[in-house]
Amino acid sequence: MSAQTSTRTNPAARSTLVRAVRLTGVKPTQVAASVSLGTLALGCAVALGGVSAWLIARASQQPVAAALTVAATGVRAFGLGRGVFRYLERLVSHNTALGGMTTLRTQVYARLAEGAPEAVLRVRRGDLLARVGADVDEVGYLVVRALVPLGVAITLGVGTSVVVAILWLPAGVALAVCLLVAGWVAPMLTAMSVRRAEQRASAARARMNAIALGMLDDAGPMTVAGRTGTETTRLKDADDDIARAVDASALSAALASGLGLLAQAAAVVVALVTGVPAVQQGILAPTTLAVVVLTPLAAFEATQALPNAAIQLQRSRAAAARILTLLDSAAVVSPTAPRGTTQGATDATTDAGPDEDDQTHPAPSLRATGLVCGWTGRDPAVTGVDLELAVGRTLAVAGPSGAGKTTLLLTLAGLLPVRDGDLRLGDDDLAALDRADVVRAVVATTEDAHVFGTTVLENLRVARGDVTADEARSALADVGLAPWLASLPDGLDTLLGPDARTVSGGERRRLLLARALLVHAPLLLVDEPGEHLDPASADHVITDLLTARADRGVLVVTHRITPLAAADEVLWIEHGTVAARGHHDDLLATAPGYAAAARRELVEPEED
Amino acid sequence: MKPLDPRLLTYARAARGYLALTVATGLVTAGLVIAQAVLLGHVLGQVIFAAGTDEPGIFRAPDPVPLSAVVTMVVWLAVVMVVRAAVITVQERFAHRAATAAVNELRERLVTHGTALGPRWLASGEGPGLVTLATRGLDSLEPYFVRYLPQLVLAATLTPLTWIVVLSVDWFSALLVAVAVPLIPVFMILIGKMTEGRAAKGLAVMKRLGAQMLDLVAGLPTLRMFGRQAGPAGRVRQLGDAHRSATMSTLRVAFLSGMVLELLATFGVALVAVFIGFKLQAGNTDLVTALTVLILAPEVFVPLRQVGTQFHASTDGVAAAEAAFAVLETPVGEPGTTPCPDLRTAAVVLAGVGVRSVGGWTPDAVSLTLAPGRVTALVGPSGTGKSTTVDVVLGLLRPDRGTATIQCDQTYPLADVDLRSYWDQVSWLPQRPFLEPGPLQALLGDPEPADRDRAAALTGLDTVVAGLPDGWDTDLGRGGSGLSVGQRQRVALTRALLTHAPLVVLDEPTAHLDAHGESVVLDTVAALREAGSAVLLVAHRASLVATADEVVTVTGAPADAGADDAGTDPEATAPDAAEELA
Repeated sequence: MSAQTSTRTNPAARSTLVRAVRLTGVKPTQVAASVSLGTLALGCAVALGGVSAWLIARASQQPVAAALTVAATGVRAFGLGRGVFRYLERLVSHNTALGGMTTLRTQVYARLAEGAPEAVLRVRRGDLLARVGADVDEVGYLVVRALVPLGVAITLGVGTSVVVAILWLPAGVALAVCLLVAGWVAPMLTAMSVRRAEQRASAARARMNAIALGMLDDAGPMTVAGRTGTETTRLKDADDDIARAVDASALSAALASGLGLLAQAAAVVVALVTGVPAVQQGILAPTTLAVVVLTPLAAFEATQALPNAAIQLQRSRAAAARILTLLDSAAVVSPTAPRGTTQGATDATTDAGPDEDDQTHPAPSLRATGLVCGWTGRDPAVTGVDLELAVGRTLAVAGPSGAGKTTLLLTLAGLLPVRDGDLRLGDDDLAALDRADVVRAVVATTEDAHVFGTTVLENLRVARGDVTADEARSALADVGLAPWLASLPDGLDTLLGPDARTVSGGERRRLLLARALLVHAPLLLVDEPGEHLDPASADHVITDLLTARADRGVLVVTHRITPLAAADEVLWIEHGTVAARGHHDDLLATAPGYAAAARRELVEPEED
Repeated sequence: MKPLDPRLLTYARAARGYLALTVATGLVTAGLVIAQAVLLGHVLGQVIFAAGTDEPGIFRAPDPVPLSAVVTMVVWLAVVMVVRAAVITVQERFAHRAATAAVNELRERLVTHGTALGPRWLASGEGPGLVTLATRGLDSLEPYFVRYLPQLVLAATLTPLTWIVVLSVDWFSALLVAVAVPLIPVFMILIGKMTEGRAAKGLAVMKRLGAQMLDLVAGLPTLRMFGRQAGPAGRVRQLGDAHRSATMSTLRVAFLSGMVLELLATFGVALVAVFIGFKLQAGNTDLVTALTVLILAPEVFVPLRQVGTQFHASTDGVAAAEAAFAVLETPVGEPGTTPCPDLRTAAVVLAGVGVRSVGGWTPDAVSLTLAPGRVTALVGPSGTGKSTTVDVVLGLLRPDRGTATIQCDQTYPLADVDLRSYWDQVSWLPQRPFLEPGPLQALLGDPEPADRDRAAALTGLDTVVAGLPDGWDTDLGRGGSGLSVGQRQRVALTRALLTHAPLVVLDEPTAHLDAHGESVVLDTVAALREAGSAVLLVAHRASLVATADEVVTVTGAPADAGADDAGTDPEATAPDAAEELA
């Protein structure tokens, strides 16, 4: 119930947050349970205040001791109840929130896994981690830090006001109004202040980030160039701007704190001013006066948590918006709607189960005609590509850096939508095929592929769940990693660090190549296999890849020319199109750009 | 972890004034809270006492107190409460300012100190985390300053002062409170000790599970390439569930201390209320006293409870501050003072230089001489210490073995030389060219157009400039944003040509360049040699190596190998192409 009340502030924002909260699978009953426990906890505190006020006032009239025992027992019970209920509330609400985070995270993962591949490829890794990590947490914290405090404040505020109003109407009404001010206006002020400070400071903050990052990243060059002083001044300036922005918004946050106390004061004073004449006139019992004047001192505790709840609401809303933007971008293009791509891969990193049916399909070929490639929303990177990759054939795509070679590779693999032209796998339009079928025939591997924080063997099994230890060893040997494997403490079972920081750039590149070679798909597209290797090794690796095999078709994207003599055909990409094509030797003779590039490299000695 | 680390006041001077203000407002607040309790106790006490009994039907007392009799006190009460609100407003108003000032001050110190510690420190150990600490990490000090610190100060001012007032009116209530209050830290410490190991273990499990989950997510693009993205969804859920149960078992224990705090605080108040009630019933005290004690008793506990609640909000800040202090307390090497000799007539000489690294020695025993008009190339496989050697040449790093000196008519150890005067004669092109923001012309040091155009023609910058909107006046952003890596490389090369530095260090200048770019570098190197500069090249490509007058191969050695036996150890040097070139 409180799940709705909290977000009914702004229709657009509401739908964002409600959508995200729905994805967490948190049920209203779960929130209600936490709210009930929280209300009991704070209710004990308020009841303690009210009942002990009555107890003292009544005691002053010196009744028989027995007249006080019920109240005295109540006071003690309330004194114990608060801590216990609060403990339970925290456990229940955190459990709900954590469960919600897990569900949301799984949902986000599943949708990204099934949605348009482009969505995943175009987010930067850091952003992807932020969405699935911190942002999901922010949405989950909504339950603990916003919904439950809000629910408790509402239930308790209404309850206390009603009880006080029954005892003495003017005090009850004053309490209700004052609680509303403290629980509504003050949080709004706080949230506004935070939002303003963030808005005003965001430019300065970005500048500060950039300067600090620059100073630390380029500490050496900057020190040698003698620019440390200037940069420090610039950092100070940015910091001063942040300080000014925060300072300009701090007043409303400060006023919000004062407002809570002011509201409390008003409730107490109104109860006194109206209650004292009423006692004089005999329409209000003196003991009740004590209750209606002193209860407000305890009642405002519920509203104290609300400014933070308002801030959390904002944060969760912003996080939800970011998550949903990512999910929506993944949901845009999915013409094939691969509902449940549940082929053999049940768990890339731990499962070793065999793929269903590899290599039972007829040897396919990949044919592009007038292909235009590019990222959605940007100018096409490469146009007019015609090529055919078939089993037993090797192609190379070469060209200067930034020519759009990788974009072409991703398009050929069906990971980017075809902008124009025709791309067929066998006789079928590649875009119309199920992803599972495409991957069975064509697999691409990029230069920035991820090395998982697991064993060497499991990392190779990413290619195929049933890679055996022997296959793994021979694949590693093929890419020249046999000595490396021998140097590892646990061989194939050696754990690699997160994102393979323990592996050097060249080793990482070769490991990724071994992984690609283990794929059973007959058509293999490899991006820059020679990157991070010294020229001789790079040439060796590329030549190996391009040496035709009867069971496989290979396309290599590279900016290195020398080893391309091994390819059946080379496509030279320049100025966004195929500038020349043919065998290496022909291109050397006919394509000036290609020949020039090769000449520079040829200065290198051709040795192994 | 101390609640208030004195180092905070040392490193963040803004915190000092703020702490003084907080103590002042804490004292004023304590006075106001006491005044409020006394006034409220008097008003209510007088009215209720005069009203007498409230048996049904006989509410009207013989001599009830009219509002006019207590109105002065009610007005004072209102004033006290309003002032209290005002004090808290002022306190918080300055809390934000002080927090930002302190965070900024720490950040500036951190970044400056980090820069002074040098690139090698920044790249190892704590170094890479420093950016996050300096930019986002320190921001968690804000809740520490704004929420936690004031409550901590109130616990040191409001709590004892209110307790003294309770003591002065009713010693037994004060005794009850005095028993409950010390129990709070005692229990919290006890629970903390009991759960310490478990919490640490739980935290480690939580971290590991979280990292595994994020690892899967980070690998999602890769899994998609292989069409194996579907399976891990189940694994993400499993890891999430495991993470949840690990977290919950930690929280079950962590929240215990919170519960004990609340129990003691609330139950203490309840006991005082019951005790004073029966004392009143027995006629052993008066109503005004009883009410005053009743109103004051919870106030004794409020700051303690708040410290407990805000504790979690403050831990991140405290941890960030401690990490910052650790960095700030890392000593920077003693700078040299001897002015650097003129490098146009002096040589930089490394002799048997070795630098200790995690895996052993990188480099191991490098010797080279950088003399005017000569080009020296550093070759060797990656990871053997070429960039480290450059750091030693530049004086950014002191070798663990061997010597780095400047030699002319006499020999100056590089460590004794005032590095500023050395660096003023050095032009360094790192692998990733460092370009400060500003107009291109200024970036090149405002050269004469004729010199500039000649240099630009050599490096190919002229064609780049032709494509820029404002030509030579184009404002380049940080790091030369808007230019490709190759174009930035050309800007940096042109600058190296124009500065006429006696010593030029080029670290892999052909990286990110195609074949044409490479010839530009070769021409630049030739021009630099002609101009009489000593040039140090870190080179991969043979064409570049071929231009050098001297080629030095850098090798590494395993940890236990000394300089003498490095050559005989078969593991020490992997066979490599570059070595054969040399």
